[in-house]
Amino acid sequence: MNWQLIDQLRLRLNANGLPYEIPIHPQLVHLTLGLFILAIVFDIAGALFALEKPIFKFLGLPILRSGFFDVGWYNLIGAAFITFFTVAAGFFELLLANPPIDQKSVWGLTAGWTMLLHGLGGVLLLGAIAAMTVWRGLQRYRWRKDASRQVQWSYLLAGIAILGILFVHGTLGAQLGEEFGIHVTAAKLLQEGKNPNLLPK
Amino acid sequence: MPALSLNNQNLPYPDPLHPIVVHFVIAMVLFSFVCDVLGYFTRNVRLFEVSFWNMFVASAAIFIAVILGQFEAGLANIYPAVQPTLNFHTLMGWSLAAIVVGITAWRFVIRKRTPRKVPPAYLGAATFLVWLVCLQVYLGSKLVWVYGLHIEPVVQAMKQGVSP
Repeated sequence: MNWQLIDQLRLRLNANGLPYEIPIHPQLVHLTLGLFILAIVFDIAGALFALEKPIFKFLGLPILRSGFFDVGWYNLIGAAFITFFTVAAGFFELLLANPPIDQKSVWGLTAGWTMLLHGLGGVLLLGAIAAMTVWRGLQRYRWRKDASRQVQWSYLLAGIAILGILFVHGTLGAQLGEEFGIHVTAAKLLQEGKNPNLLPK
Repeated sequence: MPALSLNNQNLPYPDPLHPIVVHFVIAMVLFSFVCDVLGYFTRNVRLFEVSFWNMFVASAAIFIAVILGQFEAGLANIYPAVQPTLNFHTLMGWSLAAIVVGITAWRFVIRKRTPRKVPPAYLGAATFLVWLVCLQVYLGSKLVWVYGLHIEPVVQAMKQGVSP
């Protein structure tokens, strides 16, 4: 980012380049990923209900097929809701990032490319999750209201494809933190020649 | 003993796995609580089923999370400033494993006996659990984002002898 522009904002930035101690985006990512992955997994479990029924019976755990679809639906709503905040926080922190420019990730990408792809991917995934929620809602309340299998196979396939994109996208995001050290206080201190052991305990 | 071949982040695999597995503890415990509270006030009993399954997944995930956490802590560069936070995070991790499983068992009994209701006492216990999970997330985040455990520039600097 243009540092004169950032200075205009008059944010009190810490050593990590953020106006607060811990980045918010990675915390919200826990919620987006946990909720979305579980939404798809439980819909798959509902669709293949006959297969796991004996397993749960063996465990003595009563299961209801509609219950699995309820988890699929409500977890997806939760994921869609929280992901708006995840992406918003992500963009804020992306704008304040100050990565090393002479370094490449294990995927051979510069920090600039990794940030660009992760930013674009974030918007794409937000759109995909929102679209999946609308699609899922139509199946639940209109198209397959009285069907024993509430989700279409095409929906599940789309879900699995998005999980694949999430994996790539999440890895890019992890590389920003782990390899480039963006918004990591100890990494920034070392860069400035300071000792991270002087950090408060 | 054959040595593990470690990457630039001091890990035998590309990315730390503990922070990935904890998604399924953090998100599931928090969302289970949200569903129980919403279900309690809106009387939407479907949300109780959603709550139970989210706790069920959290219980399964937390053991994997704790074991991977111990493994990755063992491979981390622990400098003196990190130690108190790591000790606290470790103690909380093992305690949370027991607490999450205990509360899930309680949730299971509630689901079996009164599937259309959730007692306020449970909501109280779940509030306490949510608070503990948030504290644990804070501690874990501090290890990564402040102290830089398994963060490449920090690992490399320590290897080159910038030992604090």
